[in-house]
Amino acid sequence: MEGSAIDIVVFAPLAPILGVLLFWFLELLFTESQKFLLEKIRPKHEPLCRFTNFLGILYQTICHALGYTITKSGISDFYLSVTYGKVAPKKEKHGLFEWVSNVFLFVGPFYLPALLLFIFAIFLITNGFDTTTPSYILNFQYTTGGQLTAFGTNLNDFARSFFGFLGNIDLFHPAHLGYLFLLIFFGLGIRPSYIGEKKIDKVDMIYDLKNIWSLIRHKPLYFIILISICYVFFYINLYLNQNFYVVLFSFLGWLSIVSIAALIITHLIIVLIYSVDKLEGKIRFLPYVVIILSYVLMRVIFYYIKTDFANSLSLLVMIISTAIITYILIGKQTNKFKTKKNIKSSKKSKPGENDE
Amino acid sequence: MNDEELLKNEKLEKMLSPHPFSFMKYQSICLFLLIWGVVFGWLVNFSGYKDMLTEEAISISVWGAVLLIAGVIASLITIRWSIFFSYLIIFLSGTGLMLWLSWTALAGVFLPFYTIAMAIFAFLLVELYRRSHKYIISNQRIVFKGGVITKEERTLRYDKISDINAKQGIMGQIFGFGTIIPISQSGFGLGADKSFAAGGVQMGTKKTKLFGLAGGEKEVQTPRSRSYFELHGVHPYKEVKKLVENLVQGSVITQYQQEQVDFQKEQVDIQKQMRDLLKAQSGKEEKEDPSKEDPAPPEK
Repeated sequence: MEGSAIDIVVFAPLAPILGVLLFWFLELLFTESQKFLLEKIRPKHEPLCRFTNFLGILYQTICHALGYTITKSGISDFYLSVTYGKVAPKKEKHGLFEWVSNVFLFVGPFYLPALLLFIFAIFLITNGFDTTTPSYILNFQYTTGGQLTAFGTNLNDFARSFFGFLGNIDLFHPAHLGYLFLLIFFGLGIRPSYIGEKKIDKVDMIYDLKNIWSLIRHKPLYFIILISICYVFFYINLYLNQNFYVVLFSFLGWLSIVSIAALIITHLIIVLIYSVDKLEGKIRFLPYVVIILSYVLMRVIFYYIKTDFANSLSLLVMIISTAIITYILIGKQTNKFKTKKNIKSSKKSKPGENDE
Repeated sequence: MNDEELLKNEKLEKMLSPHPFSFMKYQSICLFLLIWGVVFGWLVNFSGYKDMLTEEAISISVWGAVLLIAGVIASLITIRWSIFFSYLIIFLSGTGLMLWLSWTALAGVFLPFYTIAMAIFAFLLVELYRRSHKYIISNQRIVFKGGVITKEERTLRYDKISDINAKQGIMGQIFGFGTIIPISQSGFGLGADKSFAAGGVQMGTKKTKLFGLAGGEKEVQTPRSRSYFELHGVHPYKEVKKLVENLVQGSVITQYQQEQVDFQKEQVDIQKQMRDLLKAQSGKEEKEDPSKEDPAPPEK
């Protein structure tokens, strides 16, 4: 086994943890961006925003309830509404148990929807779940570089497979179409906090991070215990020469990838809604009609012209044509007050010349 | 509501109809039919299982089995057997139509289209039913109108409302609608949840048999009414609820008002007694002094 002792003992266990943190932070950024976009469309789409709030609160309350169940605190009160969710424990437990249930509350909503999507994806994606350590790093797999490489390879394989599936999704296949709906459904609710009713209640990324930071700051001992458990688990793996440590963190990374994919898709939809809102009259439905028509048309064309990329090309044409049509329609409707002649040239011309 | 229908001094406050999503329980039945129609069409014609479903009998059985199982599950969950019977009718009529037209060979095409057509038809029926509801809130009463063929109407005066029940499901919270059930003093607007348990035992051999049965029933009163007789799925829920509550409150005599009425009654009684006393006194005086009846002529 190659690698210095200090690298293996101190730094190597941190590598996958930092990797997961990086992906989690990316997810947080996407979540924040989604909240920003939802705020933009809120005045015209109040029910949609309420629905996304409800999903977010639903995941939060489920995670909180899960935390109380795991810590054996029990649940005495479970309240869920579109604007508020509350879970009260049967037995008030303090210390580590309380801390663990709070970890579930703050971190769980990032991973619970992704876990459900991942379970559904297993039935649709055939490969990408490989967690075997690549042969070229076998000699130094327990070093920082080895851990990072194994983590990265696992994530890369899964991401290629998952995004490959999404890029080739067949919208004429009920299971694929259903999965896309689930991605949108779950993606709209991936957030640890909700969009407030009023501006004063607005909770953002900083609020979420503050919550997590205060959780660590107030009970640093528990955080140290958690990290120590990770280290002990790594040493056991090292002793048994079974790299389950990377597998565990790779799994969390996969969940982040699923979440990010769902968030990207919901971003596209929210941007489309936001753009279409600028249109007035019945013409505003045209971009939505174009989505369906362009896809169906492309699939019909590719039914006669056989190609391996029929699904992905159809999707691509669908996205591009919708974007172009929306852009043209917005341009046509919002440029009404612009003069055909350049204003500067009008100024330069002598008064009375244009009177005719 | 026409002006002719309005009573004297009656002013129209609001005219409402149920929200398009307020009949989701019926719409979800149609939605299931629609999804199953699409999925079945894909299964029989395009999926990897299409070879297994080439036999007409198998494809009809699969189609019917899924429909009926879904009907049983939905009926058990909602305790409403009409769902099962609706699906049964769709299954029987679909199969019957196919056999009558001798289209069994086209089951893979006919059944998906038939299911989707039935789903659309059912959606239209639900929409027709929804649109038949009209709720009129005036300053004196609430008028509930409804009925697709047979028209029903209920009028409820605010002073007859003893209690108001309001409920808002998740869909209602998202879209801002809810149901308000005004319960009248006679108990109109109340339903009952019944649960029944029974047990039986059979003992003995061929010659002697003993059979016993024990049972029990529990009933819980709950606010429930037909959608024609409640403000079903009204939008905007909070505004309507506040309006109805204010109108009910406005027609209720408060304790202070009651005291004032009692006081006025007391005053009237005292005045009556005084009047009687005065009458009685004047009558006595007239009897005691008859000269008053025949006064002397004035001196000239």
